[in-house]
Amino acid sequence: MAEVNQQGCLFVGEGVVLKGNFEVPDIASISGTVEGELTAKQVLIEATGTVRGKLTGESIDIRGEVNEYVSSSRSLIIRSTGKVTGSINYSEIEIEKGGHLHGDLHNLNPHS
Amino acid sequence: MSIFSKNTPATENESSTSNEEVTQEQVAQEDFVASTSATEQVTRVDSSSRSSVLTKPSIISEGFTFEGTITSDGVLNIAGTVRGKITAKSVLIDSSGQVDGELNSEQLVIKGQLKGDVNCDDLNVGPLAHVDGNISYKYIHIQRGGRVAGKFIKN
Repeated sequence: MAEVNQQGCLFVGEGVVLKGNFEVPDIASISGTVEGELTAKQVLIEATGTVRGKLTGESIDIRGEVNEYVSSSRSLIIRSTGKVTGSINYSEIEIEKGGHLHGDLHNLNPHS
Repeated sequence: MSIFSKNTPATENESSTSNEEVTQEQVAQEDFVASTSATEQVTRVDSSSRSSVLTKPSIISEGFTFEGTITSDGVLNIAGTVRGKITAKSVLIDSSGQVDGELNSEQLVIKGQLKGDVNCDDLNVGPLAHVDGNISYKYIHIQRGGRVAGKFIKN
């Protein structure tokens, strides 16, 4: 989907290590490693992808690994290969069987 | 015994087998049907857990409130309210079910509400469930819409 229009997208290929803070207006697809803060509208952490630091987004789909902090304002999906540790904020969550979750879970809008 | 009449055409084909054998087969089939319907809520029914699955589930019905400790080696279905400690092999908290307290089980399916500390192997949280507490698990599945909060620890 992102290949059609790459404007505002970030792709991190397998083996690439990125350090710093990133603001992505559209899709961030991570197959490599990101160290630092990553904010995007839509985040895809592929099976080989790793984020060490803060990850913020509307829709977040995790097949790889995320450490420290995840905040999703719309939907958070942890796939069967996904591994998330640390503090997690979500408004809607789905964890596939086999997904790994270790940490504190908070609902952003618990009474809606 | 509608199941017997339903099976009759199939067993007629095996006219060579003795009557006794046919009856045994029918009973076995009925047992299987009964066990599957009783545990259709439990996500994983593998052959190793079938011996316990064949035992009848204990049921806390809707509108029933239980306070205290429940211990069971079998299946526990909760549609009512339980306050206290639960230990069972397999626990199902139905959509009307509420549990407030400590829960230990191998298989846990939550469709209702749960508040407290949970220790389980296989956890399945349904889309309308509310879960609040410290949860340690081996395998987890949360269906979209399930609301969970607290500390999650994978063993």
